[in-house]
Amino acid sequence: MANYLTNTNEEKKQMLEAIGAQSINDLFCDISSKLRAKPLCLSEGLSQQEVLDIMLAYADQNKVYKKVFRGAGSYYHYIPSVVKNLSARSEFLTAYTPYQAEMSQGILQSIFEYQSLICRLTGMEVSNASHYSGATAAVEAVLMCAERKRNTVVVFDNVHPDTIEVMKTYLSRREMVLDIVRTENGVVDADLLANSLNDNVCAVYVEQPNFFGLLENLSKIAEQVHSAGAKLVAGCNPIALGLLKNPAECGVDIAVGEAQPLGLPMNFGGPYLGYMACTSKEMRKIPGRIVGQTLDADGNVAYVLTLQAREQHIRREKATSNICSNEAHCALIASIYLSSMGSNGLKEVATNCVSNAHYFANELSKINGITLKFGSEFFHEFITVSKGNSKAILSALDKQGILGGLALNDDEILWCATEMCTKEDIDRVNEIVNEVAL
Amino acid sequence: MKTIFEHSKVGNLAVTIRPLTVNEYKLDANLLRDNLPLPEVSEVDIARHYTALSKRAFGVDDGFYPLGSCTMKYNPKLHEEIATLSGFCNIHPLQSSDTTQGSMAVLSTLSTSLCEITGMDGVTLQPCAGAHGEYTGLMLIGAYHSARGDFHRTKIIVPDSAHGTNPASASMAGFEIIAVKSNEEKGVDLDELRKLVGDDTAALMLTNPTTLGLFEKNIEEISKIVHEAGGLLYYDGANLNAVMGIVRPGDMGFDVVHLNLHKTFATPHGAGGPGSGPVGCKKELIKFLPNPHIEKNDGKYEFVNSEESIGKVTKFYGNFGVCVKALAYILTLGGNGLKEASENAVLNANYMNANLQDIFDTETNRFCMHEFVLSLQKLKDETGVSAMDVAKSMIDKHMHPPTMYFPMIVHEALMFEPTETENKETLDEAIQVMRDLFDDAHTKPEYLHSAPNNAVIKRPDEVRAARNPIVKM
Repeated sequence: MANYLTNTNEEKKQMLEAIGAQSINDLFCDISSKLRAKPLCLSEGLSQQEVLDIMLAYADQNKVYKKVFRGAGSYYHYIPSVVKNLSARSEFLTAYTPYQAEMSQGILQSIFEYQSLICRLTGMEVSNASHYSGATAAVEAVLMCAERKRNTVVVFDNVHPDTIEVMKTYLSRREMVLDIVRTENGVVDADLLANSLNDNVCAVYVEQPNFFGLLENLSKIAEQVHSAGAKLVAGCNPIALGLLKNPAECGVDIAVGEAQPLGLPMNFGGPYLGYMACTSKEMRKIPGRIVGQTLDADGNVAYVLTLQAREQHIRREKATSNICSNEAHCALIASIYLSSMGSNGLKEVATNCVSNAHYFANELSKINGITLKFGSEFFHEFITVSKGNSKAILSALDKQGILGGLALNDDEILWCATEMCTKEDIDRVNEIVNEVAL
Repeated sequence: MKTIFEHSKVGNLAVTIRPLTVNEYKLDANLLRDNLPLPEVSEVDIARHYTALSKRAFGVDDGFYPLGSCTMKYNPKLHEEIATLSGFCNIHPLQSSDTTQGSMAVLSTLSTSLCEITGMDGVTLQPCAGAHGEYTGLMLIGAYHSARGDFHRTKIIVPDSAHGTNPASASMAGFEIIAVKSNEEKGVDLDELRKLVGDDTAALMLTNPTTLGLFEKNIEEISKIVHEAGGLLYYDGANLNAVMGIVRPGDMGFDVVHLNLHKTFATPHGAGGPGSGPVGCKKELIKFLPNPHIEKNDGKYEFVNSEESIGKVTKFYGNFGVCVKALAYILTLGGNGLKEASENAVLNANYMNANLQDIFDTETNRFCMHEFVLSLQKLKDETGVSAMDVAKSMIDKHMHPPTMYFPMIVHEALMFEPTETENKETLDEAIQVMRDLFDDAHTKPEYLHSAPNNAVIKRPDEVRAARNPIVKM
């Protein structure tokens, strides 16, 4: 068995002598014998080679699809080698949170650059160092908006179901209300939004694109929300922002989102990366780490964790949030991804997503018995309707090693196309679906 | 050094992707942004930039990292390889469960192992970090009391020596916080606790070993006091590395625990995450665990939702990739190996402590657990050299400083946690460094005041950073 220990028995003896203890057991004399654990009922330790075999066997029990047309909050994108390789450097991977600025300048600068990249992507003025996931970032963003007299959060039935679930949890033990508002034709409806706005509403949360893949009119929503005295929080897909108007231009107060598409694998759901950015007005309310640029004692540029008066280790129960460890390494990956792609590369990825998805949707809708559920503009996801066929379609694709869209019910499937697929792949899916739908 | 933006030259490209194979689709111009000010950098410049940044960072692979309360043990390379297996990282979270039995087996096996290690009956792996676990655990406690109609249990008792996340998490979960003072031995003051508990007590949060690195000897009495008042006992697993296989939180009377896989179970800290903060609980609380949980029926794993669950605390199932690494660690060490890891963590801490006791003050004369706290108050009084000065001077010796000024109840505190993966030679070097710095404090205090003197920067101006925040470029 491997144990990653390095002291020899002889050294242990010397150490015990220096301590003045007879045995290691003596060191635990404060723990009463009554409390002492029986030997743990776990298997014997194994060699590294055996562990690899076991884990390989687990990995083999999963099905890796050759082609993926499913999104719904987890997206299959190209991950450049430069991203994987550089982020794996152990100086990054095995470091702690950069509390000691003098020996962590590389980490601090990388976070500062991440914040800058997120600000450039969103148009916002302040980004934190990351949050656990798009869902938790969304929740903590709406909590930032809560005021004494405003305790209601409005969301729509077209945001990611997990995000709604997480919001329900986080609001449940606070004196806050979650109002889930119906949408019309898949998008936020001005009248329904107007009906839900009142003096109690502190925040409205929308997604861009929304869970159905459709694009919302963020500017119009922002106007409406602001005129009611509330704030708009938008969960934006960061790849889509390669093309779309940034949330700041649209009047969004806090931009959040799931940044998994920026270089992170699907990973069966995590680790992912919640990004969170706001206007400078909200800066002292944003949760999590923030890195700032300053000068050192010699007047040279230096980076430090800053605005810590917001944080739990200083403010304890009065902190803006309890967050401590976040998803720093995922943020590094996203930084390297955005830097490597650059403005042209990200635009190209986004263009390929939207183009592939539109070709795909168009081809599917030509099949007899299949229609698109909504008519409005979408990014890289869309819903088809085919009476009672969801299961049969997905199972036919599965047999060919293709992960089809997510079945929302017996009739509807939520599809996703990214830059990973080609015309040939899409045509193949269409053929298979065609056979089923007939 | 330059930022990535200063390497940017219009037209540079680090990555190329497959040209479009369908006609380009153009979104309506009204929807589009005018400019996207991301850097344009060549691949070689990207590689050099991030390599240069990495050389200005310090990880466990770079040297001794005795950061108290953080358990900076070695992160085995095998685990990184395993976590990047295509059969793990290329699995979509919403694939049908028929096609994800391997991932679900990993989660289920890890949960079962953590139950055994902690003496709990159920575990969720959904929380993404320790504080996220604390929040989840406190939500379970809230749900437990509410389900019993016990709505006035609104208070969480937290020792004054606790991690800052404890009160912050309790506040996030909608509780009021009461601090309980420490006694002379820096454990919970029992008389004080008796006065504080009552029919409004939801729970007491405790680390054991405490943040002083000492085992809370009165734990059984504490458990009795809290439970008799109708409250529950919450275990902050930050310090579990001292006691694996030696004493289990469940056997000490704890009802809910959170663990930090990135501390105790050797998954890398990643400069601040991703971590994983599983939460374990006793039987009566299982039904409140976050949705979904995994059940095995007829030999097949399935996700199941419980009506009484507190709901979800993040998307999907938490930080699966971190869980994979933690399971690999547990399989490698096995039950005995985990115990041996804790024993050696405690041996290393005591060895270092024993070799520093004659020059620095420790809180008590007891054996410490996996970490120990030195007070440099006397040194400061005598020489003007502070804990901060000593810590910063360690940087010049290529060692990561210990945790500074925590716990708050110790003046000029330095908290050392060497961990079990360090050998005697490294500890001897660290001891020598501390002894040399003690001497230097008396002979050339100004050198320590200005430390670090050989790092890439001198001490940064934190006040300037906070007063006039520059948080992007």
